[in-house]
Amino acid sequence: MPRIMTLTPTLAWLLVLLPAICLGQTYLDLENQIQEFTLDNGVHFIVLENHDVPVFSFQTLIDVGSANETRGITGISHILEHMAFKGTNDIGGNNKNMERKAMAAEDEAFEAFKHARLVLVPKIEVAQVKLDRKTRGLPAERQEFFQKVSSAMHGTGAEIAVKDGQVIIAHDLGTEEEKIDNFDLNADEIELVNFFMSEIKPLEEEFAAREQDFEDAKDAAREFVVTNEFGQVVEENGGNGMNAGTGTDLTMYHYNFPSNRLELWAYLEGNRMSDPVLREFYTEKDGPVTEERRSRTDNNPMGRLLEIFQNQMFMANGYHHSTIGYMSDIQNISRADCQAYFKKHYHGGNMVVALVGDIYLEDVKKYAKKYFSDIPAGQPSMIETFEPKQLVEKRLIMTDPAQPLFAVGYHIENGMHPDWPVYEVIADVLGQGRTSRLNKSLVKEQNIAVFAQSFAGYPGDKYQTSLLAFAIPVKGKTGYDLEKAIYEEIDRIVEEGITTDELSAVKQRTRANFIRGLRSNSGMAGQLAGFQTSTGNWRNLFHQVEEIDSVTLDDVKRVAAEIFVKSNRTVAIIETEEDS
Amino acid sequence: MIRMNRVLVLGLLVVLVASVALTGPAVAKKKWEKIEIPELNEVKMPAFERVELDNGMIVYLAEDHKFPLVELSATIDAGSIYEPADKVGLASMTGEVMRSGGTVTTDGDALDEMIEARGMRVETWIGNTDGGAYLSVMKEDTALGMELLADILMNPAFPEDKIKLAKESQKAGISRRNDDPMTIARREAMKAVFGADHELARHTEYATIASVTRDDMLAFHADWFHPDRMYLVVIGDFDSKEMVNLIESSFAGWEKATKVLPADPEIPEFPRTVNVVNKEDLTQTTVIMGHNGIRADSPHYAGVLVGNRILGGGFATRLFNEVRSRQGLAYSVGSRSGTGFRFPGLFMAFTMTKSESSQKATQAILTEIQRMRTEEVTDEELERAKDGILNSEVFSYDTKREILNRMVMFERYGYAPDFLKKYQESVKSMTKAKVLEAAKAVWHPDRMTILAVGAYNDWDSDFSSFGPVTMVDIEIPEPALEIPDATPESLAHGKELMTLCAEDCGGVKKFKALKSLFMVNSMDATIQGMDLTFTTEKSIRYPGYSHYLLKTPFGNQTTVLAGEKGWASGTQGVQDLEGEQLQAAKDELKTDTIGIYRNLDKLKCQALVPTKVDGVPCNPVHISGIGDDYRIVFLRADNNRVFMVQQPGMSPMSGAPVTQKMYIDEYMEIEWLTTAKKLRLLYDDELFGSITVTEVKINPQLDGSLFVK
Repeated sequence: MPRIMTLTPTLAWLLVLLPAICLGQTYLDLENQIQEFTLDNGVHFIVLENHDVPVFSFQTLIDVGSANETRGITGISHILEHMAFKGTNDIGGNNKNMERKAMAAEDEAFEAFKHARLVLVPKIEVAQVKLDRKTRGLPAERQEFFQKVSSAMHGTGAEIAVKDGQVIIAHDLGTEEEKIDNFDLNADEIELVNFFMSEIKPLEEEFAAREQDFEDAKDAAREFVVTNEFGQVVEENGGNGMNAGTGTDLTMYHYNFPSNRLELWAYLEGNRMSDPVLREFYTEKDGPVTEERRSRTDNNPMGRLLEIFQNQMFMANGYHHSTIGYMSDIQNISRADCQAYFKKHYHGGNMVVALVGDIYLEDVKKYAKKYFSDIPAGQPSMIETFEPKQLVEKRLIMTDPAQPLFAVGYHIENGMHPDWPVYEVIADVLGQGRTSRLNKSLVKEQNIAVFAQSFAGYPGDKYQTSLLAFAIPVKGKTGYDLEKAIYEEIDRIVEEGITTDELSAVKQRTRANFIRGLRSNSGMAGQLAGFQTSTGNWRNLFHQVEEIDSVTLDDVKRVAAEIFVKSNRTVAIIETEEDS
Repeated sequence: MIRMNRVLVLGLLVVLVASVALTGPAVAKKKWEKIEIPELNEVKMPAFERVELDNGMIVYLAEDHKFPLVELSATIDAGSIYEPADKVGLASMTGEVMRSGGTVTTDGDALDEMIEARGMRVETWIGNTDGGAYLSVMKEDTALGMELLADILMNPAFPEDKIKLAKESQKAGISRRNDDPMTIARREAMKAVFGADHELARHTEYATIASVTRDDMLAFHADWFHPDRMYLVVIGDFDSKEMVNLIESSFAGWEKATKVLPADPEIPEFPRTVNVVNKEDLTQTTVIMGHNGIRADSPHYAGVLVGNRILGGGFATRLFNEVRSRQGLAYSVGSRSGTGFRFPGLFMAFTMTKSESSQKATQAILTEIQRMRTEEVTDEELERAKDGILNSEVFSYDTKREILNRMVMFERYGYAPDFLKKYQESVKSMTKAKVLEAAKAVWHPDRMTILAVGAYNDWDSDFSSFGPVTMVDIEIPEPALEIPDATPESLAHGKELMTLCAEDCGGVKKFKALKSLFMVNSMDATIQGMDLTFTTEKSIRYPGYSHYLLKTPFGNQTTVLAGEKGWASGTQGVQDLEGEQLQAAKDELKTDTIGIYRNLDKLKCQALVPTKVDGVPCNPVHISGIGDDYRIVFLRADNNRVFMVQQPGMSPMSGAPVTQKMYIDEYMEIEWLTTAKKLRLLYDDELFGSITVTEVKINPQLDGSLFVK
């Protein structure tokens, strides 16, 4: 199963996504060296000792991702992941009580501001439309003049006085452009100014006041923040590769540490998983998180395409929305929403921690008990909305300034389904590596694509998901050219299946890739935590071989015929917008 | 029998890695500061060997029997810095086709099958400053893998079909290079800092890719791929002695280099420039600012690294705290110290921020950099940065691959093997004054060239406060039109396109049935500063009669074709058309636009690769078959109408050969005929005249005397 965590997919990860089905190699004897224990609250620890170098890697996995989000809070898993670096009641603040009060005031100011945004802004817009309409009713020769008046009235902190057919506007007050204008108006125009004064100005002022209150409250709360203290402690202690990721299915936290700092690690990790303080919540959300959405999705053609692709392909289950979330939800989510979400999902029943390196089980046990026991117990939440069978082909054509791309997804069952290894085999033969069917046909023979790949499990594998084929055309070819060629290869698999040689090559590649994946501490920690979380048992990492080995040529034909059906597919194409 | 020139075996040496106790404030220790930190276990330096083979190849080996794998990586002194400026892309494509094209004995596809069936990984590449190769195999495939890799490195075949694929891939890359703002920013920033033509900054264009030939690749390979230019690092489940044997036998017969390695390109120093790429569809601005830095052998190396750890090289830095966490201006913000082992690095800072805070974020970064130069860092910051570097030093030894690759790097660039130890010592003794001194010596915010990509009109300022702004045009120069050999498919497709076009403009049948045509147009041209108007009256009786009357301010000129005869008359009297001139007049009648529609079955119409003409997507069709002449008709991709016709022509002024282009800017409809109304005539892309068609008559009665001498 793909173990790669992504916030939102990018071309880069499509390129590195390699099959990671794994194979039991008894001679490695690794499986027997792996130890595990569970705390009373359910937090599950997996430990592999490796005393070569005095360092260790860990991975904490929380069994929650964007697929758990409901409408209105999309993107909240990812926001929470950002907040996990903001510290705790011990770390990152300088006055617990004062900060708590300041944050409560900040929350209140946010709610008032949010209310203003949701209620006042539409009212202002409606009134503005009316004013514009009235303005257009003025004689043509006065319109340009009145536009000037109008823009002066909207100026920052404009003060407006109507007197004897004159309007005096002091605008841009408090800025370098500050000035006072004196306009001679006729009766019709004065009526418009009065309309502005009574219908728009009070609303704008109220909105601006709410915004200012909110800014002030944020500034006030900031007084009690020791900026990035958590990260600082990790870094000055030699922490390395600090990172976190949110996917559709899981949230991951990771870094590498010198092994003499095991207890310090346990303190830091246990503390942030049990007692986080969501400080700088609004600054983080409206700043870095929003900018992340802009760079990954809004300003990235691949991100734009994949977001609407997911929207189209998955109508009901949690894969419908992208992990980064909708912009309006990012804006509207409150700290209370986030705290509730944390409480619901960050409990012992959803938490797996894997450690690999120069550490000893007994120490891990001791410190785990000492620092992770405050985390409450809980049951993993079940998601009840299943993706209904797709009945019609869905196609989306995105006209975009970017160069053309093509993607097609077919619905498949989730990672626990008995046919999962068959999906993996199909995806591998169809579109992994230089000898894959797609690469041979589209790239080498027809010269219509520079890149063509397929893989099972986009965007996740915990729920009903998709087998995705993706291709980039050579210059001068379009997504439509690729579409035809990809269907020909897919049809060939449906009709003829795959060859014995292809199947045995998949098995051999699987074996080699499995071993490659075990070499680094961090890779190993990631795989152990991943298999434990998504299959319920890390041992499945070593027992995938029987599953892959049991796949037959007939299985491939049967499953291919089942999934590669026109009504089961969703097609996404970027059609390049022509400069006019 | 192997003879090792020098074998150096290092046993289990113990490297002391500092474990620094935190020097927190004496009062009120925080909770985590009370946690006891025991002594760090010893770092055991893994055993490895360095062998220099007779052929000059340097091999570093480290056995690792934990997993049944063997992994090899090679570094070769061959980079794109050695390719000619008009063939940018040669090195990179050579690196690709070495692997994809296979060898003289095993073709690329066969190689792929062999490699993937065994789950091996074999790759080659050539980057900016180095070439490289990588092999990863299961233990039992070691000999086979080594043999394949050696064959690829020594005897690549560079077949034309795989060269074509590599070129297609390069071209696709060029066409996509403006899709992602960060890609644009990095590329343009390098050009802005080092100069657009510099070896470290220049990039491919359609023209440079087109100019690369198979001979170039063979020559590039022959020049730079030799054993004495190569460093191998081999790690895994093998016996070192056997491995050296295997390497020697696999690479047997490979000649040493004869060509001298050129000196590294100089790194220029330029004053600041401010450069803006305006891309209106963006809501976020990507800013990179930078100037050249220092080599690792500079006395300021450690100072700059410690300083950068405080400035922007990490999670809890000044830039991260200020720009990201406190001001909430960006998701990504940071700085690179500007140090390099071979070249002086690029000191740079970057951010991605919303359009409305472009200036604010840029200024905030520059202010922080300036602060590093004007005041000392705090004791606390210094201690944290030193602790961070020293405590994470153990990660420099956590994989064998990392250790050996570093040895290779030190050896190639002439650094002592204990460089890292010395660096650690400098960090330990680092002071606030030294950090300040290094920042002053190396970092110059006023010299940092700025490159920003975004929707310029939405920014909070026009950036002129940073200096005079240069707008950078990133429009991709279109490739020269390639006229490949015709294939049955391209001919059929060309005919199909032209037929569609003819049908749209009236219908092939109607054109064929056309008996006569009368047309008047007038052309406004500026010649030697004079605005002149020329009027042409064309009278045509198909298939073989034409009468062109050209009215100029200097008098009239008539050219007549009457079956097998023709003549021209003007102020200098009447002259018969003969030979080539007569043939040209006949051809002209068959190959003007209507002539083409009438003669589609006789002409050779070859579809070329779609392209853009002045930003408009077009399907070009190369038309030949009547006379020696050809023309390329560019049909608009959206409606199949003729957008432009290109053909060889003659300058009316000098008589020199030129490329003539006729654009049809407006169409009109006359009865069933859709025909040009407004046109522009260009010679070598210079506008010559604007033409308006003022009168068209279909099947008019023509005065027979027109065609009588």
